[in-house]
Amino acid sequence: MNVKETLSAALKSLLLNKIRSFLTMLGVIIGVFAVISLVSLVGGIQNYVEDQFEDLGSNLIFVVSGNVGGGSSRGFGSAISSANLKEKHVDIIKSSAKDYVDIVSPQIQTYVTVKYKTHSEYCFVFGTTFDSDKLFNSHTYKGRYFSRTEQNNSARVAVLGYLLANKLFGDENPVNKTIKVDGKSYEVVGVLAQKSPDYDESLILPYTTVMNNFDSTSITAITAKAKKGVNLDEATRQVELALLRDLDSDQFTVMTQEDVLQSIGSILNILTIALVSISGISLLVGGIGIMNIMLVSVTERTKEIGLRKALGATSNDIKRQFMIEAVLISMSGGIIGLIMGWLSTLIIRNLIKASVPFWAIPLALGFSVLVGVVFGTYPAVKASKKDPIEALRYE
Amino acid sequence: MTPVLKAKNLCKGYEVGDEVITAVCNINLTINKGDFIAITGKSGSGKSTLMHMLGLLDTPTSGELILNGKNTKGMSERELAQVRNTDIGFVFQAFNLLQRTTVLENVMLPLIYSRIPNSEHEKIALEVIEQVGLSHRLKNKSNELSGGERQRVAIARALVNNPSLILADEPTGNLDSKMGEEIEKILINLNNEGRTLILVTHDEDLAKIAKRQVILKDGAILSER
Repeated sequence: MNVKETLSAALKSLLLNKIRSFLTMLGVIIGVFAVISLVSLVGGIQNYVEDQFEDLGSNLIFVVSGNVGGGSSRGFGSAISSANLKEKHVDIIKSSAKDYVDIVSPQIQTYVTVKYKTHSEYCFVFGTTFDSDKLFNSHTYKGRYFSRTEQNNSARVAVLGYLLANKLFGDENPVNKTIKVDGKSYEVVGVLAQKSPDYDESLILPYTTVMNNFDSTSITAITAKAKKGVNLDEATRQVELALLRDLDSDQFTVMTQEDVLQSIGSILNILTIALVSISGISLLVGGIGIMNIMLVSVTERTKEIGLRKALGATSNDIKRQFMIEAVLISMSGGIIGLIMGWLSTLIIRNLIKASVPFWAIPLALGFSVLVGVVFGTYPAVKASKKDPIEALRYE
Repeated sequence: MTPVLKAKNLCKGYEVGDEVITAVCNINLTINKGDFIAITGKSGSGKSTLMHMLGLLDTPTSGELILNGKNTKGMSERELAQVRNTDIGFVFQAFNLLQRTTVLENVMLPLIYSRIPNSEHEKIALEVIEQVGLSHRLKNKSNELSGGERQRVAIARALVNNPSLILADEPTGNLDSKMGEEIEKILINLNNEGRTLILVTHDEDLAKIAKRQVILKDGAILSER
C-alpha cells in the first residue's frame, strides 16, 4: 500500500465522521490559533513601542528613578515605586551637562477626571515643560503649547490630546474654553495633532502646575535631548556623571532610546515565551484528545483491521494508516488554527501594527504534525498488533 | 499436477493454563486445481480453526501447509500477507464489507495491497463486479445493498486478485433461502469456470453443492467422500 493510497484511505475514514474529526482537531485548532494570535499581538506591541520611540527621535536620553536592568532584581518596578528624582536634578543636568544636552525636561505622570459641561473623562496627565513639544516632536493643530511664563507661574492652562479633545468637546473648538480638572478651572490653550494613543488621550499641563495642584510631586522621569553633533554615548555618560553628584548609582538609571527598546524587547520576549508555552498546553490537550479518539476508532474498526489483514495488509500497512489519520487530524487542525490566527491578526491590525512572523507558520504546523505523530503512535501500534482472527470475530 | 494446497499432518493446539487443548490434529488434505471441497462438521469440530490455517490467518502448531508448491512454514508476516493477498480470496458469513463505502471501493480493497499498478485497479474491479452482476450498483454504499448483493460484492472482492484458492466460510449463513440459492449458483459457476473453492459450513444441504466433502469431528477428519 503506497503513501497515496494510505492518504486516500485515511482521508475517507476521517470524512466518514466529519463532526467527530472536527471536534478531535479542535484542541489543536485552539492551540495553534492562540500561538499565532499571541505571537502577532506581542509582535504588534513591540512594533508599536518601536514606532513611538522612533517618533520621538533617536537622540533622546531618559533618566528614571531606581536601577532598571543593571542586575537589579527590582527592575522596572523599582522605577515606579521609588521617587528619587527631584526638580533640582533637572537643574543639575542643565548646568553640568550643558555642552552635551540642549533641552532637559522633567515629566510627572498621574490620572485625573477632566470635565467640560456635562462630559467628563478619566484621563492620563502628563506634566512637562513648555519646550517638551520640541523634545517629543508633538505639534498643536489648534491653539498653542503653554509658554515659559505660564510654566513659571504654575498657570492653570492645559493642552488636550487629539482624542481627549474630541471626547470632551465634540465638534466645538476647545481653545480658550474652561475645563474642570479635579474640580479646579483650567483654560484650554491648545489641542495636539493626532500622534499616538498615549498622547491622544492625555492632558498635558505644565509640570509646575501639576506639582502645585496634585499630590504627585515626584518627577517620574527626566528626558534630555543630546545636542547636534554630540556623541549620544558621551552625552549619556555626562548626564550620569552630573546626577552622581547628588544621587547614588542605584538610585537612578540613564538610558538611551536603544536601551529602552532593548529592555522592552527582552520583556516582550519573555512574555512571548510565556504566552506561547501556555498556548502549547492547549496543543498538548489537543494531542491527548487525538489519542483518545484514535483509540476509540481502533476499537470501533477492529473488524475492518481484521478484514484488511485477511486481504493482504501487513501490520505496517495498518500502523501507517492510523498514523496518517492522526497526523491528518492534527495537521488539518494546525492549518485551520493558522488561518484563524491570521484572521485574528487582521482584526488586531486595526488597533496595532501586528503581523504573523514568518517563523511562527512552520513552527505551528511542525508542532501540530509532531502532536499527531506523538499521540497517534500508540493507537496505531495497538491497531497493527491486532490478531486478524480475533479482529474478524469482533462484534 | 501440482496441488493448489497440500496440508501435511496439520495440528493446532491452544495452551489454557498448564493444559494444551488440541483444536485440530493430523489433518492431511490435498486440494487440486478446480476442486470444490466442503469442510463440514458440527460446532466445535475444528472447521474454523482449519479454515484459518488454510487461509494463512493462523499458523499451525505442527505440520506443513504447501500452497502452490511453496511451503508456508517459516514465512514472515509480510510474506504471509502477500500470499493471502495474491493467492487466497476470502468470503465471510458476515460479508465484512467496509461500511459507507461504495461497491467499487470495497471490491478494489485487496488491490491496494497488491503490486498491481493503481491505474489498472478500477478496470479489474469493474470486470469482477460485472461477473457477479452488480455493475448497476457500482456507486452504491454497502449499507444500501440487500444481503445477497452484499455477499456478491464479497465474492467479487475475493475474485479481484485472481487467487488460486477461494475460501468461503458459511457464505449463505446470513441469507434467506432465495438469496442463499443465488450465492450457491455463483459458487458453482465459479468452480465450473475452473476456480478452486473450499467451502466451510455446518449446513449439510449447502455442502452437497461441493464435489468433495470432508467431515470433521473433534479436530480430526472423520470421513471424506
